[in-house]
Amino acid sequence: MARYLLSQLFQAALVVVFVTLVVAVMLRFSGDPAVAQFQGASAPTEEQLREIRQAMGLDRPFLVQYWDFLSGVVTGDLGTSFRGETAVRSLIAQAMPPTMLLALCSLGLSVLLSLPLAIHAAVHKGSWADQAVRFFSLLGLSFPNFWLGIMLALIFGVTLRWLPVSGYESAASLILPSVTLGLILTSTTVRLLRASLLDVLSSQYVTVARSKGLSERRVLYKHALRNTAIPMITFVGLQFGGLIGGVVIVEQVFAWPGLGSLALHAISNRDYPVLQGTVTVLAVLVVLVNLLVDLSYGLFDPRVRLE
Amino acid sequence: MMRFTALFVTALLGTASVSQAQTGTLTVATAQDPQNWDPIDTFLIAWGTVAHNIYDGLIIRTPDLKLQPGLATKWTYLNGGKTLRFTLRKGVKFHNGEPFNANAVKFSFDRLLGAEGKKGPQQANYTSIKQVKVVDPYTVDFILAQSDPVLLTKLAGYGAMIVPPRYIKEKGAAYFDTHPVGTGPFQFVSYKNGESIRLQAFPGYWGGKPKVANLTFRFIEEPATRVAELQSGRVDIATAIPVAQAATVKGNSKLSLQAVPSPTVQALRFNVSHSLTKDVRVRRALNHAVDRDAIIKSILQGYASPIASLQSSKSYGYDPNLKPYPYDPAKAKALLAEAGVKPGTPIGIDFIGTDAVFREVAQAVAGFFQAAGLKPELKTYETNTFYSDIIPKNKTSNAYQMGWGGWTFDFDNTAYLLYHSKQFWNPDYSNKTLDAMLDKQHTMSDQKQRLVILRDIARFTHEQAIDIPLYNQQDLWGVSKRVQGFQAPSDSLLHLRTVSVK
Repeated sequence: MARYLLSQLFQAALVVVFVTLVVAVMLRFSGDPAVAQFQGASAPTEEQLREIRQAMGLDRPFLVQYWDFLSGVVTGDLGTSFRGETAVRSLIAQAMPPTMLLALCSLGLSVLLSLPLAIHAAVHKGSWADQAVRFFSLLGLSFPNFWLGIMLALIFGVTLRWLPVSGYESAASLILPSVTLGLILTSTTVRLLRASLLDVLSSQYVTVARSKGLSERRVLYKHALRNTAIPMITFVGLQFGGLIGGVVIVEQVFAWPGLGSLALHAISNRDYPVLQGTVTVLAVLVVLVNLLVDLSYGLFDPRVRLE
Repeated sequence: MMRFTALFVTALLGTASVSQAQTGTLTVATAQDPQNWDPIDTFLIAWGTVAHNIYDGLIIRTPDLKLQPGLATKWTYLNGGKTLRFTLRKGVKFHNGEPFNANAVKFSFDRLLGAEGKKGPQQANYTSIKQVKVVDPYTVDFILAQSDPVLLTKLAGYGAMIVPPRYIKEKGAAYFDTHPVGTGPFQFVSYKNGESIRLQAFPGYWGGKPKVANLTFRFIEEPATRVAELQSGRVDIATAIPVAQAATVKGNSKLSLQAVPSPTVQALRFNVSHSLTKDVRVRRALNHAVDRDAIIKSILQGYASPIASLQSSKSYGYDPNLKPYPYDPAKAKALLAEAGVKPGTPIGIDFIGTDAVFREVAQAVAGFFQAAGLKPELKTYETNTFYSDIIPKNKTSNAYQMGWGGWTFDFDNTAYLLYHSKQFWNPDYSNKTLDAMLDKQHTMSDQKQRLVILRDIARFTHEQAIDIPLYNQQDLWGVSKRVQGFQAPSDSLLHLRTVSVK
């Protein structure tokens, strides 16, 4: 187990290094951050640009810059934003809680919604309820999430005025963004869960369990559901990466001050340290979640041994 | 549900009764978080919109672009224009209690023009100042390296804001970045990155107490959300309303829409290093080929005006008598034929792909070029790549988008940077006559004579058809009717001291 963990952690570290390296290289191919400071409002001279680049540390060779960044990551120092003198670490520390809150709430909401819906649909396969679940999940999949977000904001924020349209102020401001993201997640989760439940329900051991005279309820909760846990957890783990992607857009729509907004601004400002820092944190998160998913297999299936 | 609604109504009435008094909160939504509040580190309009309520300059520019005394009560040129002497206002205090005086002015400019300023984009604007000398506690001399006709305007904005010496020395620049202190009508309360900055009225403001107790700026990048928040009543003033949403704001009985000419002009510039666009007849032909009025009417819904040079109608140097090339497709074809351009010749048009409005404009222009017999090819770029790589390195096609906002509202700010040989954003066009005119006005102190030259420059660029000036944009502001006394500024710099809420 310990050896397994170590090798996984090593792999995870490799993934993070690779991701940040790709980001660092790509960034340097796309416009000059020194010029980006001027925003077209004035024209810099070459000398001024040189000075700004020097202040940003961009005059040094790429590998030196990258090495500094990596060693910074190890010591927890992610550098300073190009816009002003704020430490990247403190920017991320501010943006992390809103993003985590949003991600967890939407994930929780989608689990709460999709479990009963999928179970009902699978058990009553072909019924009108099953048809409805399938129809709405397909509908949910076809909505772009920013559109759904704006529609929800218009209905519940502008017309009915029940909820704040945007911002990060109270528990109420959490509702619209997590519902937007949660609904989109539910559409995919519900389909997958329904399919794997149906699969399990038609398998031999379920037939055996039924023939032994176990109640339908017991068959479902004791045998079938437990066996869909592994594909579900795997799926949710994989979803997490996608969830982070969705967070970027939903944060933008709801002016949610999280990691997604931070990364987007960093891209448009060519704020290398902020973007590299944010990407590193996001990569670590995704890798960690997937590691946790791997580890949790043993909990649900005693046959799984991590070596 | 009823109970929920009832609760909400009570809450609404509650806020209404609070704001009856001469207090209340004014909430402004801007599109961008500048991420730091230090005047020397930024060049964002969003910064100016917020920070001119926290800081003062020696000079203040009013919403109708007039210069008036700020922290300086008067100024005079000495030594044949080589020294600019300011008499400072007495009894002014920074929000932290620190006194404002000549030392604060010297400190602010030493910082801007020294090593710290080198890291930011503001220093470049103030290079005509060689040195700031303290004459006595309330008199300072600016020793000028060269005469700069736009300096007074520049002193009313951005990098020239006066900052507190003791506070910055004690707390450090990084702290100052996120905890700004100035002499302005509102003082800092809190700032949350990516979210909002909260200010409150500064009771000791030299120009009189503000009319609202609290002032909050929220950063809402998505325009649809900004408009939705305005409609929901949680935002009182919203900047940068997109043209597509103008009707929504206008049609709402609780809101009003204010449109003001912005400094920004949109143009297509020609790259004269390409064989097709090297020929002035081709450039003139293309100017005749485009129906600007149709573009303004249909795509910009009238929120723009036609222009003949790359400057706003409010800019110093604007000449109302200079008219754009009239729309004349027959003449365009004739000129192209005269220049020997064969029908079906390809012409490249580059623009910034994320700009939804200009995308439509570019498509319309391509349609007009096609009608003139050419074969337009549209190419899109991302903003930063476009401005830092494609344009300065002369990688543009025949024609390319140039959206330019001269924040000083002075044609020099645009003309010098875009037309003078070898300027950063002008890698291809070079003309000695034009250079001479640009240089002459650039350091001239006689403003009347300068105006004549600026107009000559505009006429010259017009005749040479260096570009196709398309339109002068208008900034659209959405304003709740509970806001009293607000006038949308052309330069986006908000001064909210005299604004109140019902």
